[in-house]
Amino acid sequence: MNRLLLAIAGMVAVSAALAAQAAPPASPRATSGLTAVDGIKVGHHTLTERPTGCTVILVDGDAVGGVSQRGGAPGTRETDLLDPLNMVDKVNAVLLAGGSAFGLEAATGTVKWLEEHNIGWPAGPSRVPIVPGAILFDLGVGANPKIRPTAECGYKAAAAATAGPVEEGSVGAGAGATVGKFGGPGRSMKAGLGTASIKHASGLVVAAIVAVNAVGDIIDPSTGKVVAGVRNPDNTFADARAILRAGTAMQRPRAGENTTIGLVATNAKLTKAQATRMALMADDGYARAISPSHTNGDGDTIFSLATGRWDGNADITLIGGLAAEAMADAIVRAATQATGVAGIPAARDLKK
Amino acid sequence: MVLAAAIAALGAAQPDSKLTNATLTAVGGIKVGHHTLAERPTGCTVVLIEGGATAGVDVRGAAPATRDTDLLDPAKMVQQIFGISLSGGSLFGLSAADGVLRYLEEKRVGIAFGGRRIPIVPGASIFDLAVGDAGVRPTADCGYRAAQAASAAAVVEGSVGAGAGATLGKYGGIERAMKSGVGSAAVAMPDGLIVAALVVANPLGDVIDPATGHIVAGVRAAAGSGLADARALVRSGTPRVVRSGGNSTIGVVATNARLSKAEASYLAQLTDDGYARAIWPIHTVVDGDTVFAIATGTRSGTTDLVALGALAADVMATAVVRAATQATGLPNLPAVRDLRR
Repeated sequence: MNRLLLAIAGMVAVSAALAAQAAPPASPRATSGLTAVDGIKVGHHTLTERPTGCTVILVDGDAVGGVSQRGGAPGTRETDLLDPLNMVDKVNAVLLAGGSAFGLEAATGTVKWLEEHNIGWPAGPSRVPIVPGAILFDLGVGANPKIRPTAECGYKAAAAATAGPVEEGSVGAGAGATVGKFGGPGRSMKAGLGTASIKHASGLVVAAIVAVNAVGDIIDPSTGKVVAGVRNPDNTFADARAILRAGTAMQRPRAGENTTIGLVATNAKLTKAQATRMALMADDGYARAISPSHTNGDGDTIFSLATGRWDGNADITLIGGLAAEAMADAIVRAATQATGVAGIPAARDLKK
Repeated sequence: MVLAAAIAALGAAQPDSKLTNATLTAVGGIKVGHHTLAERPTGCTVVLIEGGATAGVDVRGAAPATRDTDLLDPAKMVQQIFGISLSGGSLFGLSAADGVLRYLEEKRVGIAFGGRRIPIVPGASIFDLAVGDAGVRPTADCGYRAAQAASAAAVVEGSVGAGAGATLGKYGGIERAMKSGVGSAAVAMPDGLIVAALVVANPLGDVIDPATGHIVAGVRAAAGSGLADARALVRSGTPRVVRSGGNSTIGVVATNARLSKAEASYLAQLTDDGYARAIWPIHTVVDGDTVFAIATGTRSGTTDLVALGALAADVMATAVVRAATQATGLPNLPAVRDLRR
């Protein structure tokens, strides 16, 4: 009797799982990428004057946030409040921007947009929008380094945010992103913005978004092969790992050229300390897909968001492991989805 | 062109060949000694730097067992350490460092204080209490004996010292785990820079060869002789077996470069990328992953931190792979070499 019930339950579960796989998306909600996490919207604004811009991750309501900051040359705001010891435990949006330290101004526009929509931390009569952010250094791409994302960029990206599929490649914060800079000028490659997600039958979703602007090469961790990086004169890969191992003279990374910034999100319910652990484990995705990563010429930073809309139970080790995996996937996509600019080819250009 | 030719000629793994000793003791002034208990597979591994070294630490795992790590903060006073104690036995095993202190005090090594010397010996332990009788743990005596045994010879790898009870691949529980141990690796650069690592690999996760993405050792399949692949288990949503047997990967990276204390801390952080590349998953809630960095400073001149950090991550990943390949199995805990038969 029990066995029969189990068998029926099993069949129901299997058919439900099959139905879940086969059913087309009923709404504009994305089935892959960061917006696969219910309650998360993403918007880009890309400047036309120079390849740079910003990307805003908006939370529908709020989410518990964390951060991992491991690179040696960061440009960030509101990261201190994400410390689990500190009071504020909710985040309304996260800003990723180009434009070096100047680009942090874009967050001002995101804050303005949120205030207009009455979203923020309740503080007496007002609501204070909590918008941590990080920038990458892309001033060397394009002719005029004076062109940087401003508050207007952050406002427009917030206004453009949707729950639909996230546009990848050379857009938003990834518009001016490049990788493989150990060989100096003329040997780097174009990268951009990538996103990826992993969904379990239990309903747990873990996803990542990243703007990849590393000193190092992009590696596919499942094969150990270079996806994009320092080029030889014949457009084959020189392999930053081999350059470093050989001790050959190389172009030292300079502040003002690098930094990978990203975010991981889940629909699980996490404490602030768990969200911090999730960001820390996602950083292992950087280590695996970027070689070398976290250098003192990179300001590598990862934010995490937990919306808590899924009420299942998941181990933070599982969530963190998935976050690292989704982040590594997103990094590889940031390289494969990019579009080249003059003198800086993308991975797809080399395949031609 | 010249660059490409040089790389092609050297290959990725070749620079080690000019080192006859490609282990932690390739860095001059460093000695390593093990003591392995006879009663059960556990023990301790001691790194001695009797001339002193600048040091840093990075604790990224969520379940650490450490001592004297606070003083390694660049804002704190102490500028030199004289040894590092790595041990099995979980928190209990931290007492191995007591024996190292005693040994060094007898040899009058340490910071001068009045007529005495205060040896500074940070330490970390792995959880190996699930392998045999949990009541048997490394004590101060173990640390003293390991210090006595320390030499500048090539480090003995495998299931010895602090790695005697080390295991890996515990996502599916200790019943499907594999044996691990101590691994070490070193690189010497044309400009005289030496970077070396030693690790006691006892992770929840699998050990991966980052050069190929292949599993070296890890969770064994529930049935048959193959490996389950922790990445596939996590990706598919398979829950972790909670009573997994305890974890933590603890290690040391050493260089002959001259570094400030802040640079040594940063070196420890960058070395942690080697853990991330060679262990999957890593830095979990049930791992107390810790990396110590030591800089002896015998090589004068400036060192590029980018190259140093990248090399450190690289040699640490190699050391982790060696911890798996050099291990010797125990009953119900096969090592890589047992599965190859």
